[in-house]
Amino acid sequence: MFKFCVLFVIISIFVKLEANPENDDIYYSQSQVILRDNGIRYSSSYPSQCFEILKEFAENASNFTLCTILHARPITLCEKCIKDYVKFRDKYKELLVSVVNGTSCKSIFLSQDRLNAVQEYHDNILSVWDKGNCNDCYNWTLGIPSLKSTTIDFYRMSNDTKDCISKYNDPDNSEVCNKCMQIYEQLDEFYKTLSSDSIGVDSVCMDIVDSMNATRSTWSKTLNCCNLRRTPEVVFLSCAGIISFLPILYYITVRYCGPIRDLPNVLKQSRFKQTILRGLSIESRSD
Amino acid sequence: MSNSTTQIMEETVSETTSDTAPLVSSEVPSSSNYTQLNHTSDIQETVEDELQGSHGVRRRQPIQKIEPGSMNTLSAKYESLDYDTCENHLLLDEERKRGYAFIVWKDIARWVIVLLIGVITALIAFIIDICIEEFSKIKYKQLKKSVDTYVMLDKLYIPYLLWVLSNICVVFIGSMLVAYVEPVAAGSGIPQVKCYLNGVKVSRVVRIKTLFVKAVGVITAVVGGLAGGKEGPMIHSGAVVAAGISQGKSTTFNKDFKIFQYFREDHEKRDFVSGGAAAGVSAAFGAPIGGVLFSLEEGTSFWNQGLTWRTFFGTVVSTFTLNIALSAYHGHPGELSYPGLLNLGKMEPFPFQFYELPVFMFFGMVGGVLGALWNYINYRLSVFRIRYIRSPWLRVVEACLVAAVTATCGFLMMFVLDDCRPLGEDPTKVPLQLFCADGEYNTMAAIWFQTPEASVRSFLHDPMGSYKPLSLLVFVICYFLLSTWTFGLAVSSGLFIPNLLTGAAWGRMLAILIQYMLPSNTVNPAKYALVGAAAQLGGVVRMTISLTVIIIETTGQISNALPIIITLVVAKWTGDFFNEGIYDIHIQLAGVPLLPWEPPPLAHNIYASEVMSHPVFTLRTVENVGHIVELLRVVSYNGFPVVDPPLADDAEVTTYKRLRGMILRSQLIVLLQNKIYNENANTTWSNFNVDMNMFRKEYPRYPSIEELEISDWEKTCTIDLRPFMNPSPYTLPHRASLPRLFRLFRALGLRHLPIVNDLNEVVGMVTRKDIARYRVWRHRGHMGMEELLLSSEI
Repeated sequence: MFKFCVLFVIISIFVKLEANPENDDIYYSQSQVILRDNGIRYSSSYPSQCFEILKEFAENASNFTLCTILHARPITLCEKCIKDYVKFRDKYKELLVSVVNGTSCKSIFLSQDRLNAVQEYHDNILSVWDKGNCNDCYNWTLGIPSLKSTTIDFYRMSNDTKDCISKYNDPDNSEVCNKCMQIYEQLDEFYKTLSSDSIGVDSVCMDIVDSMNATRSTWSKTLNCCNLRRTPEVVFLSCAGIISFLPILYYITVRYCGPIRDLPNVLKQSRFKQTILRGLSIESRSD
Repeated sequence: MSNSTTQIMEETVSETTSDTAPLVSSEVPSSSNYTQLNHTSDIQETVEDELQGSHGVRRRQPIQKIEPGSMNTLSAKYESLDYDTCENHLLLDEERKRGYAFIVWKDIARWVIVLLIGVITALIAFIIDICIEEFSKIKYKQLKKSVDTYVMLDKLYIPYLLWVLSNICVVFIGSMLVAYVEPVAAGSGIPQVKCYLNGVKVSRVVRIKTLFVKAVGVITAVVGGLAGGKEGPMIHSGAVVAAGISQGKSTTFNKDFKIFQYFREDHEKRDFVSGGAAAGVSAAFGAPIGGVLFSLEEGTSFWNQGLTWRTFFGTVVSTFTLNIALSAYHGHPGELSYPGLLNLGKMEPFPFQFYELPVFMFFGMVGGVLGALWNYINYRLSVFRIRYIRSPWLRVVEACLVAAVTATCGFLMMFVLDDCRPLGEDPTKVPLQLFCADGEYNTMAAIWFQTPEASVRSFLHDPMGSYKPLSLLVFVICYFLLSTWTFGLAVSSGLFIPNLLTGAAWGRMLAILIQYMLPSNTVNPAKYALVGAAAQLGGVVRMTISLTVIIIETTGQISNALPIIITLVVAKWTGDFFNEGIYDIHIQLAGVPLLPWEPPPLAHNIYASEVMSHPVFTLRTVENVGHIVELLRVVSYNGFPVVDPPLADDAEVTTYKRLRGMILRSQLIVLLQNKIYNENANTTWSNFNVDMNMFRKEYPRYPSIEELEISDWEKTCTIDLRPFMNPSPYTLPHRASLPRLFRLFRALGLRHLPIVNDLNEVVGMVTRKDIARYRVWRHRGHMGMEELLLSSEI
């Protein structure tokens, strides 16, 4: 058995050594074979226009992906990549609806095999966009995006706040909170009106959420402007103390001041043995 | 003690040859005449009598008075259900008249009733759920608004007092209802339903008034922010619905629909109630199989395949109806994604390794110890309540105080623990900023400003870093104490949710600790939170199979079964080492004569002659009306053996008499009420038009004997009891052992068991209380049996 193993190893090493110098050549010739095969399979029956659309779609997809990755932090991808997004989306639609000589391009590229690469990539790329609710930044009249008025308003106010903060941001930090409080509060209030949900994850476009988060973080953590909230609250604490004390008082009162009741009696059970004993005792007494 | 007992016995009984010798001889007086009835009151007890316990049975020192709140007392107030069918002539007549067509019709009617039970239970669950959800939403929205406003003004006491006040107001309404209108609706209702299914008639437990108070009470309790859940009350509601629908009439509204008369007996009613309780579980947890198992485990001793199948149908209908209603309400009609009230959310199947099994066992042990502690605290509190907090208004005040303290706890935790999390990462409904930075929310506020059920979901599903261990620890301690304080108040709320919440919190806390110890592993907090929740609940209620199935069905993940089973088994073992389950504790405190699954061990030397009540009040087959009335007035017994008249009607020489049948108090009352008697004993009886419906009409609330008007001339009339009595009651000879008696009672659901001597003469009578007074106790690995005292005043 061992001998065979050794033999096998030796042979395989030998074969590898043989193959190595010609590797590139082999791969090249293999791909040639595959390409030729493809050519036979597709070009004869499938229209070339579809492949052109596919090529453009691939380019758009790569542009859009590039853009979204570049603008990932801080999140500005909704704003910056809208053009790429529109192109990408439109091309995909075109791919879906195009029919050349009675053959739809969709039937060539989509759901043909296990990999289903075209649709998978499309969905993946789009999922980031959808997760960020990016479409919510825009009005989509006639399919052409234009920034919503709320988006514009928000950015105006956000920029005002940032300007204000950078303007007054002294090392001693005392001025900035008071100066910018009003404008910041305005922004905060406005932001809260944007979503119906109380935490704003449902519908607000991610650019806005992120921008607001950054502003809030600067405001309350870096600048420490929220310290106003922390107050001693003496009245509250004393109220809480009194109310927690009440049950103890109640239980003590009930325990020691309640009416003294008669304890329940034990029920006499009539049993056979008692009856005999009683009968016997009556007998003995009568004797 | 046993030594002295036997000595006394030998001394005193030395004159007779053996214990049971007088049973066949006819020296001991029986009581089928007036003189004997009057003599029974002056029974003189000697100290020696009291000291005599049965062999090896622990019996406490003879005492005349008992401290209320003792677990070693049975209340004499509870009656049994008549589960046994009375096979009298009327029944035979009815069977002859109706034939098989009627049986088919009855079977169909049963299925229709089960369907109705499922639907209506689900609709009640739906109404309760919607009310709680909507009212809570309003309450917490307003509170949040108030906090947001006043936190900046240094006036946090305003929202705090607002919260306290709203809690108190809401709880006050529910507590008034429970304390004054229907005290039996307090608590979860599971102990009461358990007693009912065991065969004990708990008065008013299945009335429509109770259902109403229960439903309103549970809404107020949960909206009022108490640490209580709506699941236990749902089970009780299901039971009431079942008892109501199957009878086709309501005594409260004095309305008889003239349907389902043939189900008006304890036997049928109890079967339906078991189905109703199962439907309630199913609606509460979305667990149809768990519901069936719950009925099987907690309740009925008398179980058959047909009933199981019908019950399962009922539970499925219940969860299905609730699903449709809730889906439609939440705006997804037809989607069927809301199977139960308690929705723990879909758990992912969590993979677990072999080495994790000890960890689950450890969780089970922690849950068992904590559960035992919970039960102990609650037991002490319940005893205190029984002794000192008796008047309704005191109970209302207590409930309101607890509501106020609950709000205080919540607010203090938010105030003191600054546990902040950025918005948007966790699904929070009411994010309260309080002292957190902008864009963050206070996690404690998020937990407190929602219903406890939603909090369980948060603990189960939120990501690892959502809660700091310190805040979890404080929360566990607070909620543990609050929930054990709340259970037993005069509000109707259950203990499932609070315990799941506590358990999920400490489970998550332990998960965080494990993560600290093993930084390289990724620990799934959901897994440990779920196991912790199961352990805590299992440690408190000590249910096994049904709880496992309920949790599996609620989380919708069968592959998590093994960890949950292991945890629950260990939790039960650990908890049982210290004390009993919370429901059993409450049942024992109430003094209910509940029969456990098994007869007491080592009790074969206790004979029926010791267990039975001795002077039996018997009736003759043809009996004088005056005697019956007198007997019913003097004694409180419910079943009377019917015996042959003595050969010579001599009052001086009394003998035991031969058993002919059994008749119930309710039957006698109906007979007297309808004046089924004759002036002359020799007249033929055929001119009376008597059938079963006469007896069913009054069911389940028969008038008492004092309410009947019987004039003097009628007392000389006579009744022939033979057509109405049960001619073949179960009997046992006086030498039968306690386990034998017990099994007959438990398996057949008997209420009365005449004990006869060798000549088939009645010498004694055994009822449920006579058997239930022998109780086995287990504590810290020791066990024994003791004989309980009876009292009619608790």
